Amino acid sequence: MSEHDEHRTPVSLSGLSADDSHLQPAAKNPHTVEMVISIMFVIGAILTAGFGAAYWVNAKPWILGATMGGGLFFLGIGLVAWGKYLMPRGPFVEERHTLANSEADRDAFAAAIVERGGSVVKRRKMLAGLLGGGLGIFGVVAMFPLIRSLGPLPKGTLFHTDWRKGSFAVDQTGRRVSVGDLAVGSIVTVFPEGKQNTDRGQAVDQTVLIRVSNEHFTTQKGRESWAPHGYVAYSKVCTHLGCPVGLYEQQLQLLVCPCHQSMFNVTNGAVPQFGPAPRPLPQLPLYVDSDGFIRAQADYDQPVGPGFWERS
Amino acid sequence: MSSTLFKRASLFSVVGVLALGPLALFAQSAQANSLNPTATTRKNAGTPNSTINVKKNGTVIKYGNKYITYSSPSTKLDALGEALYMENCASCHGTTANGVPASGVSGAFPDLVGLGPATIDFWISSGRMPAKDPRAVEAPRRQAALSSTQAVAIAAWVNSLDPSYPSIPKPNLKNASVSEGAAIFALNCAACHTIEGDGDALASSTFSPSLRHIPAYQVVEAIRTGPANMPRFTGNLSDKQVADVTKYVTSYIQHPQNPGGFGLGGLGPVAEGFVALLIGVGFLVLICYWIGERT
Repeated sequence: MSEHDEHRTPVSLSGLSADDSHLQPAAKNPHTVEMVISIMFVIGAILTAGFGAAYWVNAKPWILGATMGGGLFFLGIGLVAWGKYLMPRGPFVEERHTLANSEADRDAFAAAIVERGGSVVKRRKMLAGLLGGGLGIFGVVAMFPLIRSLGPLPKGTLFHTDWRKGSFAVDQTGRRVSVGDLAVGSIVTVFPEGKQNTDRGQAVDQTVLIRVSNEHFTTQKGRESWAPHGYVAYSKVCTHLGCPVGLYEQQLQLLVCPCHQSMFNVTNGAVPQFGPAPRPLPQLPLYVDSDGFIRAQADYDQPVGPGFWERS
Repeated sequence: MSSTLFKRASLFSVVGVLALGPLALFAQSAQANSLNPTATTRKNAGTPNSTINVKKNGTVIKYGNKYITYSSPSTKLDALGEALYMENCASCHGTTANGVPASGVSGAFPDLVGLGPATIDFWISSGRMPAKDPRAVEAPRRQAALSSTQAVAIAAWVNSLDPSYPSIPKPNLKNASVSEGAAIFALNCAACHTIEGDGDALASSTFSPSLRHIPAYQVVEAIRTGPANMPRFTGNLSDKQVADVTKYVTSYIQHPQNPGGFGLGGLGPVAEGFVALLIGVGFLVLICYWIGERT
């Protein structure tokens, strides 16, 4: 026990005899450990070479990853084992002197800086002023990319979509939807014609068109003419955080938002009946033209999507 | 004199109303007929209004196009189908398939008349019917209790009560496009079935099933008929688009590429994150312990 304690006592490196126990490897049988470590290194070398070969023949990504990762892993294991078991076990200590300069040295240095620096700047007032001006302008200009990174002002775009009076409802291929297309229980995502391939069209204008019945369909007071022949259209942008409300459960007559499980009642003006959505999905007023195509009576009567600061 | 004139006028108006009323009703019903609630007017969208149209004794028995052909079940199977129906289905759906069992009230079970052979075939061949628990909110997919021929036979008999469509589809995916199918899947299917096709929970104890082990013709049947809470895709998808999405489901969804070598069931970043934490970070912690441990 006492011998063990003696091994663990930190000693200074200087003046140790070569056969001191602190200089012996930590391992009891270093030859065995050396053998194990060399096996690790050989495996690591083989795998690393394998990585080179795999890279050369353009092998699959997982082979590249496995050979490189395995190679580095075994080399690292060997390295750590070498450090732990074969190096002198120690522990060693070494007294160190103080790092700080003396008080007098520091005072003299500070005085020299202030004196010399001050006199130089005073002598070249114009240069100092110009430098200050340049740095000031740089500070102002540095604000530009910061402000620009906030993006363009939204202006009125949050309040309106691209749906207009008479917009044809088209599917994602640009095909106009006609009144005979859908059977009851069918749903299609529609866009105002010409906007189906634009970023804004797919983000803001996306609208679900559902045929919920075979008759003229009223969801709420004041919307008597909005759903001809049972076709009803709601904004596909959730009023909570703007996810696409794409889950239509046709027996339950629910539109479900996949992000936070808000549920909107399709047969009652998309009023939310569960979940965090604060408002109903806005409804798009529809009409069927003389050729049987489904078109919008007007834009949405309110901003689509989540709430924002200026939204009344 | 003036009173007789008045009487005649009123008589004429009564006759007029009597004569025109039914006409008006007829006009209204004609309008309703042109807007069939169970089918689409679009061509090549799963109805007999298709490029191929084979009739026999006045009824369309086969229709479709180079992407999907829909065939009515053979009327020779009617007798077998009736026997199987009475044995397996009639206890809930009733002996006339109208959804009213002999001992029960109407409205508890679905009316099967006029749904089309594809609907009947889908529910039976996917093992959902006969239901293990008829009172369950949603019948899960199971090992089919009846063979595919028996399913077609029952579809044949139910269809013989009121011949209707869609018939049983046979997709030909040779000409279909996987990439177009992926776009259609992302827009129309992924919301419920997830982008990996694994299915997920929905509202009110319902769920969307996994798409992993579904034969191509059942994918088409489900799209065209809209089983349970799934919407029906009628005129909004052409037969080509249905074939595209079916090819995507039966190729990419059912045989996903996993560049990492291990898909973890495609459960997504949450599952992958847990595995990374448990195995990856746990392993790193052990290594750190070994490096830092005093010898």
